[in-house]
Amino acid sequence: MNVLVTLSIILFLLMIMIGGKKGARSFIALFLNFSVLVLTIFFMLDPNADPVVITLIACAAISCISLFYINEVNIKTTTAFISSIITVIILLLFIVIVTKKAMIQGFSEEESEELSIYSLYIGVDLVKIGTSVIIMSTIGAITDIAISITSPMREIFHHNPTISRKSLFMSGLSIGKDILGTSANTLFFAFFGGYMGLLIWFKDLSYSTGAIVNSKVFSAEMITILCAGIGVALTIPISSGITAYLLVKGREKSKET
Amino acid sequence: MDSLINIFKKITYKKLLYYIFMIICFVGSLIFVNNNYSFYERTIAQVITTNLEEEVEISDRHNNEDRLFTQHIIAEVKNGPKKGDQIHLTNEYSLSGAYDQEYHVGNEFFVLIDKDSEKKAKLTGSITDVKRDKVLVLVTWIFIFTLLLVGKRQGMLAIISLVINAVLLSFALDIYVNTFNVNLLLICGISIILFTMISLLLVNGFNEKSYAAIVATLLGTFLSLIITYLVFVLTSERGLRYEEMQFLTRPPQLVFMAGLLIGSLGAVMDVAITMSSSIFSLYEKNHNISVKALKASGMEIGKDIMGTMTNILFFAYISGSIPMMIIYLKNASTLSFTFSMNLSLELARALAGGIGIVLTIPIGVYISIYFVNRKRTRS
Repeated sequence: MNVLVTLSIILFLLMIMIGGKKGARSFIALFLNFSVLVLTIFFMLDPNADPVVITLIACAAISCISLFYINEVNIKTTTAFISSIITVIILLLFIVIVTKKAMIQGFSEEESEELSIYSLYIGVDLVKIGTSVIIMSTIGAITDIAISITSPMREIFHHNPTISRKSLFMSGLSIGKDILGTSANTLFFAFFGGYMGLLIWFKDLSYSTGAIVNSKVFSAEMITILCAGIGVALTIPISSGITAYLLVKGREKSKET
Repeated sequence: MDSLINIFKKITYKKLLYYIFMIICFVGSLIFVNNNYSFYERTIAQVITTNLEEEVEISDRHNNEDRLFTQHIIAEVKNGPKKGDQIHLTNEYSLSGAYDQEYHVGNEFFVLIDKDSEKKAKLTGSITDVKRDKVLVLVTWIFIFTLLLVGKRQGMLAIISLVINAVLLSFALDIYVNTFNVNLLLICGISIILFTMISLLLVNGFNEKSYAAIVATLLGTFLSLIITYLVFVLTSERGLRYEEMQFLTRPPQLVFMAGLLIGSLGAVMDVAITMSSSIFSLYEKNHNISVKALKASGMEIGKDIMGTMTNILFFAYISGSIPMMIIYLKNASTLSFTFSMNLSLELARALAGGIGIVLTIPIGVYISIYFVNRKRTRS
């Protein structure tokens, strides 16, 4: 049997054994997210469509699946959703500028051998595609942090209904600080693992530091790791702020009526 | 005004020193990357003027339309024997920009000076690569400042653990590359033990919570490695395409396995520490809590994080293949060929990582309960 099919079956069985119904839903969510990714790629093939806009829509769909399908629609997931989208928009603006300035779009000489039989003049703006790659690789972590912050903040608000907006925001920040390290680590190691082949290749060729730092592959990878870290960190104040604002606003509204 | 004075009073001597140190590092590194031309052996040039000479519409055999531009560039040589001279270059670039890009005034790149033009009045040459260190340093500082502003002490620890782990990985790979006949998986196994201990002890300190998380992480990682390895052997790796690692002169299977091991480590650590801290905090709140109740709440928390954690790994791995898949599909490759060439390794990585994450949930629960029980009998 095929490796991927076997691994999928094992993962599915484990998720059901340990997670029950929720485990099954998590597995289906993974499958749905994969479909969203495939659809995104198809829309990106159209030269007239803006990849950044497509990415934004894809990110919204992915957060919807991760938040509303695995959990359910309630005040916690809704605020987490709004926070994720706002973080993604801010991050997109930043990353578009960075990929353009660093000129890390497209492919490096290392990959040229594999691509030599293909036409590369495809009419699709690869700078914007590069931006969406970075955002898409971080979207999982962004939604995770958003829900990890809004959900305990909702509990704090529930137990102290008279809490001020500022102290609610501060408690969100302190929850965020505790998960910052581990979430950043999750992404860092994932990228390290993915770049293993390239790292060994760099070592084998014994490039000079100057050559490594300025090469397209290395800069692209470093910028991906750094932007992922920035994204993870930015989600914390944004989620805390939005949750504090919405929860206190809801309280004021219910007082008026 | 009073509050401003209060803020200044709050800043202690030690903190002031820390701020000054950070600012010196920041300014120093910026000055360095803007004036480091003499450190490079390759010739660097900076664009002075650009002039668009030609613009053609092209379409390839799959009816993809693109535009090709030819740009004439005059640049100033920044280092080497020709320093200060002007060099004339032509740059061809396309709208899509797979290998090429438009240059603007102020951009810097490495150039190769034509040998026969060196004695002539007009220096010519070709562009080899972009100088990217300035942007890289700037983004690094934005990263450092964001993490410090948001995370304060925890942000600092995250940066430190990233740096230590990166250095450690680089060192481990040096050993692998320079030693004849040493097993990559063995080196990665040792590195993983070190990575886990450093990351978890650094962020959570020396306590039972961290010890439980370390044991759970190592067990979870190695168990998922064994499962993945068995699947690989039993299916004789059918469906995996190693073509995208063809530039390596080493066995791609081993390198892939090592990457798989290290890639899932962060997520597995995250799950392990979440399980152990929640079980320990339940015990702290109520010392008489039953093992059964601990197990039930532990599993409940595990169910909640399982979905999002597998998602994180999934997107971190798969997204990188988007540009390559677009090239394949734009060149009229079939869907199944495109997917198997570009996604098989990434999907295998994501699935194996997912298996590691899910396995770590019960392992984390049982190990934490074991440590809680040990603590209970001692007190």
